[in-house]
Amino acid sequence: MAGTGVSGDSSRRYRPTGGHRSHFFNRSRPAAPPPTVSTPSRDRGPPQATPRAAPSRSYDKDLVLDVQDLKTYFFTYDGVLRALEGINLQARAGHTTGVVGETGCGKSVTAFSIARLVGDPGRVMSGKIYLNGANLLWGLEREAKYRKIVGTGRVKVVRSFRRIKQANERMAAVRGRGVAMIFQEPGQAMNPVFSIADQLGEAVLLHRGQEVVEGILKADAASRGVGGLHSEEFVPENTGEEGPVEIQTGMAGLVDRLLQVAATGDREALRAVADEVGKATGLASFGPELFYLLRDAGPQAASRRARVMRVLDRAKLSGLQRAYVRHQRRLIILQQAINDLYLKEMKTGKAQLASRSRIALRMRFEKLRHMHYNLWGVKRRAMRPIKNELFWRVVLLLEGVRIANPVQVARGYPHELSGGMLQRAMIAMALSSEPALLLADEPTTALDVTIQAQILDLMNQLRERVGTAIVLITHDLGVVAEVCDHVNVMYAGLIIESGPVHEIFRRPLHPYTQGLLASIPRFDQPDKELSSIPGSVPNLIHPPPGCRFHPRCPYAMPVCKEVRPIPQMEGEEHMVACHLYSAPAEPPAATSASAPAGAPAAPPRTGVRA
Amino acid sequence: MTVVAPPTAPVLPRRAPRPHPRLDSMKRTWYFFRRNTLALIGLGILVSIGIIALYSATLPLPWTTIPAYCATDYGPGNPTSGYPHNYTVANVCPVICTYEVTPPPNAASLCGGQWYKTPLYTNSSNPSATPVSYAGAVAPTLSYTGGHFNLGPMPLGGLATSIGSVTPIYNVASALARGSDWTLMLSVAIVGLGAIGGLFAGAIAGFYGGITDDFLMRFTDIFLSIPTILFVIVIVTALGALIPIHGTYGADLKLLLLVVGFVLVWWPLYARIVRGQVLVVREQKYVEAARASGASKGRTLIKHIIPNSMYPIFIQFSLDVGTIPLLIGALVFLGFGPEMFPGVPFPEWGSISAVSVNDLTVDMLGSCLVYHGPCIIAWWQLLFPGLALFFFAISVNLLSDGIRDALDPRLRR
Amino acid sequence: MRMATYIIRRCLQLVPVLIGVVTITFLLFSALPISDQILSKYGVAGPHAPCQYNPTCPCEQLNKASVHNGQCECTGTTVIVTPNSICQNPVYVHDVHALGLDKPLPIQWLVFVYHSFTFKWGYVDNNSFIAGHIFGIKGQAVAHVLAGFLPYTIELALLSLAIILVISIPLGNAAAVNRNRPLDQAARVMSFSGFAVPSFLLGSLLVAGVTILFLPHTGAFVSTPWCHAGEAIDHEFTYSWPQSPECYPGQIVFPYSFPTWMPYGTTTSPTGFPTVDALWHHQDWLALDSLLRMLMPALVIAYGSIAGLLRFVRNSMLEVMNLDYIRTARAKGVPERIVTSKHAGRNSLNVTITVLGLTFAGFIGGFPVIEEVFHINGVGEMIALAIQQNLDFAMIFGSTILFTFLVVSANIIVDVMYAYLDPRVRLG
Repeated sequence: MAGTGVSGDSSRRYRPTGGHRSHFFNRSRPAAPPPTVSTPSRDRGPPQATPRAAPSRSYDKDLVLDVQDLKTYFFTYDGVLRALEGINLQARAGHTTGVVGETGCGKSVTAFSIARLVGDPGRVMSGKIYLNGANLLWGLEREAKYRKIVGTGRVKVVRSFRRIKQANERMAAVRGRGVAMIFQEPGQAMNPVFSIADQLGEAVLLHRGQEVVEGILKADAASRGVGGLHSEEFVPENTGEEGPVEIQTGMAGLVDRLLQVAATGDREALRAVADEVGKATGLASFGPELFYLLRDAGPQAASRRARVMRVLDRAKLSGLQRAYVRHQRRLIILQQAINDLYLKEMKTGKAQLASRSRIALRMRFEKLRHMHYNLWGVKRRAMRPIKNELFWRVVLLLEGVRIANPVQVARGYPHELSGGMLQRAMIAMALSSEPALLLADEPTTALDVTIQAQILDLMNQLRERVGTAIVLITHDLGVVAEVCDHVNVMYAGLIIESGPVHEIFRRPLHPYTQGLLASIPRFDQPDKELSSIPGSVPNLIHPPPGCRFHPRCPYAMPVCKEVRPIPQMEGEEHMVACHLYSAPAEPPAATSASAPAGAPAAPPRTGVRA
Repeated sequence: MTVVAPPTAPVLPRRAPRPHPRLDSMKRTWYFFRRNTLALIGLGILVSIGIIALYSATLPLPWTTIPAYCATDYGPGNPTSGYPHNYTVANVCPVICTYEVTPPPNAASLCGGQWYKTPLYTNSSNPSATPVSYAGAVAPTLSYTGGHFNLGPMPLGGLATSIGSVTPIYNVASALARGSDWTLMLSVAIVGLGAIGGLFAGAIAGFYGGITDDFLMRFTDIFLSIPTILFVIVIVTALGALIPIHGTYGADLKLLLLVVGFVLVWWPLYARIVRGQVLVVREQKYVEAARASGASKGRTLIKHIIPNSMYPIFIQFSLDVGTIPLLIGALVFLGFGPEMFPGVPFPEWGSISAVSVNDLTVDMLGSCLVYHGPCIIAWWQLLFPGLALFFFAISVNLLSDGIRDALDPRLRR
Repeated sequence: MRMATYIIRRCLQLVPVLIGVVTITFLLFSALPISDQILSKYGVAGPHAPCQYNPTCPCEQLNKASVHNGQCECTGTTVIVTPNSICQNPVYVHDVHALGLDKPLPIQWLVFVYHSFTFKWGYVDNNSFIAGHIFGIKGQAVAHVLAGFLPYTIELALLSLAIILVISIPLGNAAAVNRNRPLDQAARVMSFSGFAVPSFLLGSLLVAGVTILFLPHTGAFVSTPWCHAGEAIDHEFTYSWPQSPECYPGQIVFPYSFPTWMPYGTTTSPTGFPTVDALWHHQDWLALDSLLRMLMPALVIAYGSIAGLLRFVRNSMLEVMNLDYIRTARAKGVPERIVTSKHAGRNSLNVTITVLGLTFAGFIGGFPVIEEVFHINGVGEMIALAIQQNLDFAMIFGSTILFTFLVVSANIIVDVMYAYLDPRVRLG
């Protein structure tokens, strides 16, 4: 297990190659020594492999996120703040994993570390984050060197900016596509100078851009050949999904039907027909556009025929627009190829170099070709079809998250919306690319309770529809009980207990968890005094030795002050890190000898506080 | 149910108690300031300028340079009658000059061993003016002769103002040294008074709000819209016409007017800055707490609001202290400065630079352009005052940037 | 529609500020002696002012005597005349009553404000330095004179502004993104040195440097049809060509009332702006020449202003890069390059533009010095000449209000641009 300094697998070990493939990146150099910032020995615990819930080491397809021994430190003026000290976390597809804890225990830092958005004085020190098998922290040990400043507790971090930039490029391929994130303050999280449609459209373009531009090109091809989408000759493709083909002559028939349905005023039917039009042309934007155009038409629907024609005619592109859309398509394909390359790199652990430089060159060539589209008026005209399509796709997304008037909201700016609506828009943005993992960093903390319920409900539905794994970070146990399948309880940078939600709520093992659950006010016992955990969150720069909870723990034993408890499995999926459940029984010391050794009976939930 | 022993007292790691939050914050500021190399350089330069200023106040520095004698060779012809027609630059040997009245007895035996009185470029409009000498066409060395530092002579006043009298020649080094304390005093006084005035105006405007705020902000808008130099000129002109300036006190009065003009121009900027800060500080909880515990409005203003709004003033203060000498120089360059003697600038770095610039470009260069012959361009009289000004301003700016970065809460992590 | 109302509202705010400036100047000029007040305050003062010939006035002060309550009053600075000098002009004394200078102060103020807004800013003092120095402005109205010189200043200002924006915004952004790395340190050094070097020094050094470089090669100043270097000029024949005995870099000498940089026989100058008019007359080389003459002074101005702006752009960009929405953009997967330029750049531009408006006062205040050094015939040079020995109050006042108007209108433009960039402002 030598070499990389972290618990490395030999198959993933970075092997320097020489010979014809040698590049300066690959130069035969020994791997960097392990970071010199280490936890003090009293904190490290005995060197044993930390058990995790998933028994096997091979990549489990259902396991979307596998975080192993993640350490994140912040190098501040006051010293090294050990925010995360060896976190193990898993998230499964279609399930919600919760991370609970008090303020300051490192929950948000966990989310940021997974998405590698940790800010400047902080750095992810070591660990592995496997996202569907790809190690997001690949190449971490080469990115920085740490030197202790003599005489103080501070550490000087010497960063290699080149490698950090490369790591950022790799992560940019993953973020949004594989990992999506939503934040705590929706009012601050959106750019105030761009409209909602701009921002969500950007996300759609980044991740679903190929669909968009191909749809546009297809519709354009279709309309060019036959004199317009609304002409008699255009026969829409029968995708065969809806059953027997409607016997209509061309699109004109569909348009007629659309106007008839609009005249009746039945909105669902109108929407259905409009979506049919969209499917027939291949442009998803026609559905909502035609719907919102004809929604309030009523009996005068027939008079809007010209406008409908104009909308359909927009599928016909001018030469410049066609060229621009094709160019965008090329760029998008290129970008996706590069992203796939990065992903492959992170999955296999080998640098994909030769092809990378080839692609980089091509990309530079494309960028040059792109430059002449940057003239102001020209670019705007050429971008219109894409912008239009993106706008209506955003409207579709906003409908998906149940925003009442999506067209107005999409046209508006973030400062015009309330917190709940903004959070929905953020969720729409995050889930637009159907990511494998959604990190939700206290999404409902800044919102009212009623909106909270709606948002959580929405997240549940979307999770069922899209199938993402959600990691929900919160401090509210009620939320956890509501939505989570699996809970991790965090305290002072460590996960002290983890397990299925019903198990944790039924049988909390760790005294901290018990304290948390006990401090929930109970409606059915109005005379009971509200209990709380005494003390406050420890200082993470100088954390307490041994078990970090021991100053506040009612069951503290002498061993708790010295040795950090190893996580133990208590039950099939229930993990707890507490000396009360440590298998090798330490002989109890003289004082507080009444604490029984071995596995004690579970202390009562409403614990006796002496 | 097992009886659990009473919990032991939490064992927290022992740490030294923090003595004083404000002191600690200052130590922290100093730590972040220390890590900024450029700011330390600025501080160092400023401190050395201060030391020179203090030192020069005690040292008896000569104002003028007595006509010099240099050991040089003028080439063929009689130097006194032949100048400047057969004076060629190429024939001049490296000179050793002294600034004594009579040639020293042990003359250096260079270039023939003669001590010649070196003549200045003569005033063609007044040929009977006594040619005054200065060190020859080569650069003067930084020398220390006769107990004085010598950076070269500075024949300020030039052609246009020598009307039959001896043009005074300054020693650059002594002029700079004398100028240093004037520069510092003037800058600090102007900016200090402006800052104090602006502090009170801005604090009152921000704290009381309403009509006072509106009115004061309009007022400062007006002041800030008028370009600085122009406004100073207008004020000094108007006030100067009020006060008759006569005789030897003229320069002092004009200087005072200049200071008054600058202060009047400068306070709106500080008022603006302080008002912005006060608007933020006003919403803080401790102000509310102070009012709730019975402090009167004036007391909260003085004790709580003003001390906490002072931080942006420090930054702006340090910026402006460096800008003032440049502005004074600009004014003198335009011909508007306080003068001790006609044609002789006030010994302040900005004005010395300005007059040197004028002298050099208009007089010396002009005569060189027009008269196709050897001419002397005393570049050193421009370089050293310019360098002094440059280092002063740059050190002050580095310092202010360092203070700003050190006080910025986002960067103190 | 909202934009239009915003613009109109901001333009209306121009008026009180101008009135305020005029009031301050009025108060200051009220402190002056009567004779100077005549010249500076009233539009009707000047050669056509009601005045009478008073041969018995003992003062030899040319044009500075006045009649007050029927008594001859001599004020102002006296010039010592030697026995040999001749009092050349007859003494005209202005009638204070006819001019309304004995009316109460508020009435005088109203008249003053009215005249300021109708461009009656007084007449050029015939005995001032500037009148003697510039051909053809004696006795002219100050507003007319300044209007002739204004286009040069505006062109110079626009060129400098273009250079400033083009250099400082990308450089500041790049410096903020690569904090504390070599680019940032270089940018900071540049901004510090820009602050530290006075513009008159830099400008003069540049002029001197260019002159010295060309000194051995007399005649290296290329004689162009519009600039005869070192030659004798026949004024009568080629009076419509711009001429100067020495062509300083940036110098354009012309009788102010006629733009003589045009080919001989040209009678029209549509806009008054040299470059624009040259292009209008299809004289491309002339346009390039006038631009190049302004390049060096523009660089000197830009160097001074970039200092402050660069630092500010950098700081505002640093502030913006730490905000939440930048983190969201990164989490969305936007490439870092676009995060920096589009998301962060747009937002930091807002703050930068605000500061740009505030720095206009200082920017324009540096114009007298630069124009003096480089001999650009602009309003700044007028100010510089007007404050020489014999002050010309009317000129000073006119230039003050003109520059203030420029500053305030620039602020308005900046505010409008800010509203365009930031939807929070225009949508309320």
